[in-house]
Amino acid sequence: MTPSERRLHPVSILFSLWKSLKAFAVPGLFLLLGVRSSGAARGPFGFLPANWDAWAMWFLIPITAIAVVRYLTFRMRYEGAELVIRSGLLFRNERHIPYDRIQNINAIRSVFHRLLGMTDVQIETASGQRAEATISVVPLAVLDEMRRRVFGARAEAVGSSVQGSDPLSLGVSRGQTPDQDTDSVAPQSSITEQAILRIPVRELALLSVIQNKGLLPIAAGMGLLWEFGVLEGAADTLGLERFFSGGALRQLAEAFMNRALESWQVTGALATMLGALVLVQTLSFVWVVARLHGFVLTRAGEDLRTDYGLLTRVATTIPLRRIQTLTIQQGLLQRLTGRASVRVETAGGGSVPTGGMSVRFGEGSDSDGGDRRWLAPIVRETDAPALAHSVLPEFDARELAWNPLHPRAFRRAVKPAQLLSLIPFPIAVALREPWVLIAFPVVLGWVAYSTHKRIAHAAWAETDEIVAFRSGWIRQRVTAVRTAKIQAVTLLESPFDRRALMRRVRVDTAGASERSDRVDIPYLSREVADDLYRRLTARAASTEFRW
Amino acid sequence: MSDEPPIADGIHHQLDPRVISLHRLIGLIVCVIVAVAALWGLLGATLAALVNDGPAAWVFLLGAPIWFAVTGLLAWHARRWPEISYRHASYRVDDTAIEIRRGVFWRNVINVPRSRVQHLDVSQGPFERRYGLGTLIIHTAGTDHAQVQLGGLDHARALRIREHLLPTGRTSSDAV
Repeated sequence: MTPSERRLHPVSILFSLWKSLKAFAVPGLFLLLGVRSSGAARGPFGFLPANWDAWAMWFLIPITAIAVVRYLTFRMRYEGAELVIRSGLLFRNERHIPYDRIQNINAIRSVFHRLLGMTDVQIETASGQRAEATISVVPLAVLDEMRRRVFGARAEAVGSSVQGSDPLSLGVSRGQTPDQDTDSVAPQSSITEQAILRIPVRELALLSVIQNKGLLPIAAGMGLLWEFGVLEGAADTLGLERFFSGGALRQLAEAFMNRALESWQVTGALATMLGALVLVQTLSFVWVVARLHGFVLTRAGEDLRTDYGLLTRVATTIPLRRIQTLTIQQGLLQRLTGRASVRVETAGGGSVPTGGMSVRFGEGSDSDGGDRRWLAPIVRETDAPALAHSVLPEFDARELAWNPLHPRAFRRAVKPAQLLSLIPFPIAVALREPWVLIAFPVVLGWVAYSTHKRIAHAAWAETDEIVAFRSGWIRQRVTAVRTAKIQAVTLLESPFDRRALMRRVRVDTAGASERSDRVDIPYLSREVADDLYRRLTARAASTEFRW
Repeated sequence: MSDEPPIADGIHHQLDPRVISLHRLIGLIVCVIVAVAALWGLLGATLAALVNDGPAAWVFLLGAPIWFAVTGLLAWHARRWPEISYRHASYRVDDTAIEIRRGVFWRNVINVPRSRVQHLDVSQGPFERRYGLGTLIIHTAGTDHAQVQLGGLDHARALRIREHLLPTGRTSSDAV
């Protein structure tokens, strides 16, 4: 073993055993329930051998063997300009990762890691969706050394020293989450670390409410299911048939009208629903706090660092110059509460998992993307432009001169949208459900209104260094791309565009996983689109692309 | 090489005309496969109707015109479409970028700066080899256009464009 060679910490065997056991937890529970429900003499479910638990122990042997082999075969060493990771017994694998290809280094620490002063390290390159390498369970000092070596080499290029200080022992985060074990790593040099954003618990509570806007449709859906008696069986088993049989609300209302129901019963039913809502909201709050407690965004030299989590602590490092796109987003609830969120895309892979469950502080499943990084899951809308500006100095949403789309963009956009929205109606007529036609004017009106709003809000802007696109209506976004990060520019023209003398300009960047977070400007007049296309391609060609 | 005109001339070039023959051949093969499969299906359905005392004549009389229509359309497409799409495709290489125009109904122009080229392939399938054609594949770090393909080039010319676009003198700063 060469002097610079590093191994996993022996405790990693226990960690991987624990992980495997967790994977068996659910089937195990089923087994236990099976034991309860079926006759003990014949074993669970009546077909497993009676002494099944003894047999199950055999599973532990291969799991342990794999964990031990993994520990014994893992080697990591630092060579001149690259990190070399060797692993595997039968299938040997040696991976060379040059330092300057490393996009981010993340530290993920569960409660157990933190008790033992350990960490999981994720190394991300631009290679795609997943982390290039995940090093499970090493002492914190190893992470510290890795950051020093990898980013130290990089820092020489930018002329500032980012090495040394452990982001996990940021002074700013300590007050909020006592982290005893990080004391074992002494900060070695002090560079200008500037906390850009700290999210107090109050804001996290607000965030959990904002994220819960999905709760209303779910509640409404559940209500409908009750109404139509789909969940009747479930209610029966819970002994709730009195209140919640099919058409409960209807019956409730009827009974109320007929004065057949005491007011306390109505109050009770409503209170139950309210209680359920409060319970879900509370759970959501707990979940948000567990993930994001003590969220700190720090700028350290040329790197951005985020640090968050109550139980599992996640620390990520994003070099500023590797930011591909930046997006400020505001949903409806965020606008009402005067908040916004800011996220960036890097070319680096994967979501940031926290020991088993992946952390995605998105806005509900529809907007969850693995690669996206929230610089600020919640921030005051007045502070968002400044935050974005400090991260992307070329981009100042307050100073940009926004250009509207083509004056006839609404007419161009609304026709296809209305045609599409009309498709269900002939089908409804064919199915002899003509009453659906009542919705006809409502749908047409809604499509026209929402299209009008979207077109009115959409705008684009450019400077020599960036191009930005504003879009959306209910969920509004501003996305900015540095011209130096443009990979390709496309000019598009559909047959409908051709009739309307319009074109569309689309900018492709690395790591643009989320379609909504792109600069993709539709409904421009031909001349404007062609000019923009020419300028963007010329600017992109005149810059060197640096990851 | 020196006596040949430079690649980076900034002029819109059409693809190699042989690409029309290539696409006609491919179209013909597709047309024949679909026609045979459809005929097989039609005859099978008719036979099944015969055996089961179904309306075999009706099946055949209804199916045959559809078969002729589909086959005719495919044959027309195989014959005419390569020419039409050839007229709407061009590329332009200059010192800074490569630009590719394509599309008959849905038209697009894509521009990839030279400095964004990660690596390049020139591939040649069996049919392309027959016509001396090659496909240039440009890899970028982008998402939608991680791969930009330009088919229908003379193979030697594709190789020359590749030489021209190859990332040169990489500095440490633009490493991946």
